[in-house]
Amino acid sequence: MKKLLALVLCLLMVVPFAATAEDVTITLWTYPIGSWANESTVNEIIANFNAVHPEIKVNVQYLDYQSGDDQVTSAIEAKTTPDIIFEGPERLVANWGANGKMLDISDLWTEETAADIAAASPTMLATCTGADGKVYLYPLCMTTHCMVIDQAAFEAAGAMQYVNLETRTWTNEQFAKACEALVNAGYAIPGIVYCGGQGGDQGTRALAYNLYNATFTNDAKTEYTMNSEAGVKSLQQLVDWVNDGLLVSDPGIVAGDAIALFCNGTTQMSFCWNAALLETNKQTLADGVKPLAMAFPSEDGVPVLDGGVWGFGLFNNGDEAKVAAAKEFIKFVCDDAVQGPKSAYATGYFPVKASFGDIYTGTEKEGNADYAVFSPYFGGIYQTAPNWTVQRTEWWNLLQRIFAGGDVATEANVYAANVNVK
Amino acid sequence: MQKTVSLSMKAERRRENIAGYLYMAPSLIFFLGFVIFPMGMCLFTSFFDYTMTDFTFSGFQNYARAFNDSIFTNHALINTIVIVLVSVPVVCLFSLWVATIIYKMRDFGTSFYRCVFYLPVVTGSVAVTVVWKWIFNNYTGVLNFIMKNMGGMLQDIGLMEKTMGTVFSGNWNWLGNPATALGCIIMILLTTSVGQPIVLYVSALSNVNHSLIEAAEVDGATNMQVFWRIKWPQIMPTTLYILVITTINSFQCFALIQLLTSGGPVNSTQTIMYYIYYNVFKMQDYGYGSAMGVILAVIIALFSAIQFKLAKTDNG
Amino acid sequence: MDNTINTKPIRKMKNKPQHGQDHSVQSKKGYFIVSVIVLVVIAILFIFPLYWIITGSFKTPQAVNARVPVWFPLQWTTVHYSKLFQRPAFQWLGNTVLICGLSMLLTCITASMGGYALAKKKFIGRAVIFSMFVCAMALPKQVILIPLLKEMAFLRLHNTLWAVILPTVGWPFGVFLMKQFSENIPGELLEAARIDGAGEVLTFTNIVFPMIKPGIGALAIFTFITTWNDYFLQLIMLNDTKVLSISLGIAKLQSEMSTDYGLIMAGAALGSVPIIAIFLVFQKFFTRGITMGAVKG
Repeated sequence: MKKLLALVLCLLMVVPFAATAEDVTITLWTYPIGSWANESTVNEIIANFNAVHPEIKVNVQYLDYQSGDDQVTSAIEAKTTPDIIFEGPERLVANWGANGKMLDISDLWTEETAADIAAASPTMLATCTGADGKVYLYPLCMTTHCMVIDQAAFEAAGAMQYVNLETRTWTNEQFAKACEALVNAGYAIPGIVYCGGQGGDQGTRALAYNLYNATFTNDAKTEYTMNSEAGVKSLQQLVDWVNDGLLVSDPGIVAGDAIALFCNGTTQMSFCWNAALLETNKQTLADGVKPLAMAFPSEDGVPVLDGGVWGFGLFNNGDEAKVAAAKEFIKFVCDDAVQGPKSAYATGYFPVKASFGDIYTGTEKEGNADYAVFSPYFGGIYQTAPNWTVQRTEWWNLLQRIFAGGDVATEANVYAANVNVK
Repeated sequence: MQKTVSLSMKAERRRENIAGYLYMAPSLIFFLGFVIFPMGMCLFTSFFDYTMTDFTFSGFQNYARAFNDSIFTNHALINTIVIVLVSVPVVCLFSLWVATIIYKMRDFGTSFYRCVFYLPVVTGSVAVTVVWKWIFNNYTGVLNFIMKNMGGMLQDIGLMEKTMGTVFSGNWNWLGNPATALGCIIMILLTTSVGQPIVLYVSALSNVNHSLIEAAEVDGATNMQVFWRIKWPQIMPTTLYILVITTINSFQCFALIQLLTSGGPVNSTQTIMYYIYYNVFKMQDYGYGSAMGVILAVIIALFSAIQFKLAKTDNG
Repeated sequence: MDNTINTKPIRKMKNKPQHGQDHSVQSKKGYFIVSVIVLVVIAILFIFPLYWIITGSFKTPQAVNARVPVWFPLQWTTVHYSKLFQRPAFQWLGNTVLICGLSMLLTCITASMGGYALAKKKFIGRAVIFSMFVCAMALPKQVILIPLLKEMAFLRLHNTLWAVILPTVGWPFGVFLMKQFSENIPGELLEAARIDGAGEVLTFTNIVFPMIKPGIGALAIFTFITTWNDYFLQLIMLNDTKVLSISLGIAKLQSEMSTDYGLIMAGAALGSVPIIAIFLVFQKFFTRGITMGAVKG
């Protein structure tokens, strides 16, 4: 018994308690944004930072999209939130910012940096600003989400004639013909409209609203509008294509699975794709699959693409010294003339600053430069609209219902009623 | 003389009380501090409109909301009960069946099978679900692969007509079809929950009084008679224990759904536990989640009470 | 009623000629053989996930994601493991062992004392306390997570291993199980010890403890395995890379748009091999233990 007690006491002393802050130690939580999910990449960035600011220690925690939100929710409730978090406006501005958990960091948007960012993307400041007028996000990179096709299969099926290689665009008619050609050539499942969860839902959203130029929200981003005439028509088109066997709907998988199926050659297109995904999926590509990024089809062939913006926000932890240190970190990572482009390069996306220029040509990620062709189609960020979290769940539920045979107009109205309350 | 006895009895009782509480103290402190207290808090917050930014008293509104929420009443509640009603008897009967076969084997056989059926428990739900997700995959999954080959084989030898082709087409979307998704979830739940009951039944069966069995066999009783008349009553306490544990586990089936279907397709795998998780952690609607948790706890308690009652009347 | 139905067929059987008995022995044997064959098929189903995880962790990324299942890796690679060890996987493993070990130790100590008291000490309020423990077993864990989280934050324990250990120790199952075991201790033995002048402490360590040892063994492994797998509590309570556990680490290997199955399988293999080893080593002890408690049920 005494031995047991002694053992317990020893163990009690060994177990590490929460680190007590000695110097300025700040915590950074990062979602897996490109290579920011890799410890080695992030360590290198921090080492560069410490060369300039040796007095500031940075602790990193890597989040994932499966459980990261639960973890942040818990941290908010337990008041153990990190100092800095790296993600997009749909979480930082629309969720945590709107709930008053984040700090206004408008002082990072100096005249100089704001002008630099505006030169690349005029609407960026608005995207990073909450409904209360406070700025919750300082962006590092952005991208447009697109889709991807297997060029080799398209060539084999004689479907490349429907693709505008120059602009990477196509019309609905061309898209349908391409799918038909694939099916006739023996590719049984050209593409899958996945709706098993919220993973990669930007792909199905953009696919749906592009078809007949619907908009996902109204211009003021206060209301979801996929129950409009154009929205219903677009959704109906998707259902028709599925019924005609040109596409397959699948409520059992999410974007990650759909991408895996594209990479192993089961399908010839994936509706979820972007510059960074090219990099992360390189290794699993089956022999002979040749990914070619494409815009989503639309009636007139002029797409409006969803975008993603990623940047840093500060949680309101009430420690001035840490806030100051955290701001130093953000400034270094995003604004430093040498580090800034490197930080953006690590994400695989495009820098939000015009002055950084083309960061991919002539590098290992040469292929990413290719994605600049989509920048003109960027339709702005609507993911900061109210009730966004509810909307994400309702969206894949809507798709599940219409593909299970529900009436499109009715179901779209149910969806709109559920997401536009409060 | 009498006086001293009563005095010593009093002292004795006091001693028992003090000793009892001293023994209880460590577990009681942990139990009250980290189970009962948060449970009370949960009950308390279920009467509040409680979100990340809000905390206002709302009476029974959360409870009323739960019973008016069609996802809760029409899907979560029903699916949960289906899972319990299917998995509890199946787990009990299957593990009993396995146990009756393996307990007679040699030492190695028994240990081997016991281990095999315990494997999914020790491997952990995250790892096991990753594999099952692939097994059920519509396009590259092994189940469809086997079905397709089997279908082809059956057709080749003329055992199957062409009309049955859809079943064996190899295009069955197991987790994506509302008709089969819940079945798949239950199937995986079964593999992860028979381990302990089998271990328990094997030992319970080995402890059954053998002289009774021999006597019955001499009398010419059939296998079935020996089992139901002699063995079954003796392993009844084990059965009760398994029933209660399996019921609680089935009610709390959560990780599988979180990792595989997120409650879909079209809410066909929505359960109370997942819906609570969704409201608390995704919607940050703590008050509503707490209210549903209280409802679930009451339901589980009722089920357990019924099982205890039934078992008692059976025994008594 | 029941009895007459029951005895009738037995009496009938008695008069049956000898060859009927032979027939029944034969069918008995036939049933056993068929059952064993069915059992082998089912066993394959149970072993398969583990086989798939371990072989999968050595396959090339292409083979893991292949359209046609690659049943056995033709080309072995350790690329997933080297990727896994870029992360502090061994530290996670260490944390998990620490969490599980401490939970196990504390649970065994508190539960064996509590269980013994509930079974053998006649103190006031015993029935109330026992029914409280039983009722709490029906409680869905997820429901109390948010209040528990707030409590841990208030105690400044959130984000430490204690936030996972303490609620595990408080969970009522252990006390319930140990109470069942302690019922087996003969009262005369305790009485004799008391007459010999043994104090409470001595009685517990020298008489009670050896008697309930198998139960403690069972509880120990039981606690160890459930704690090892309880990733959700860990997810909520731990958010510093330094205190992550292995099952949490595995869960985190999945990302939103590119599921690296090879990496997940490597993590899963690393996480499950130690626990399976523990199970195999302690199997005898373990299986004997849980049964004794349950039979008393």
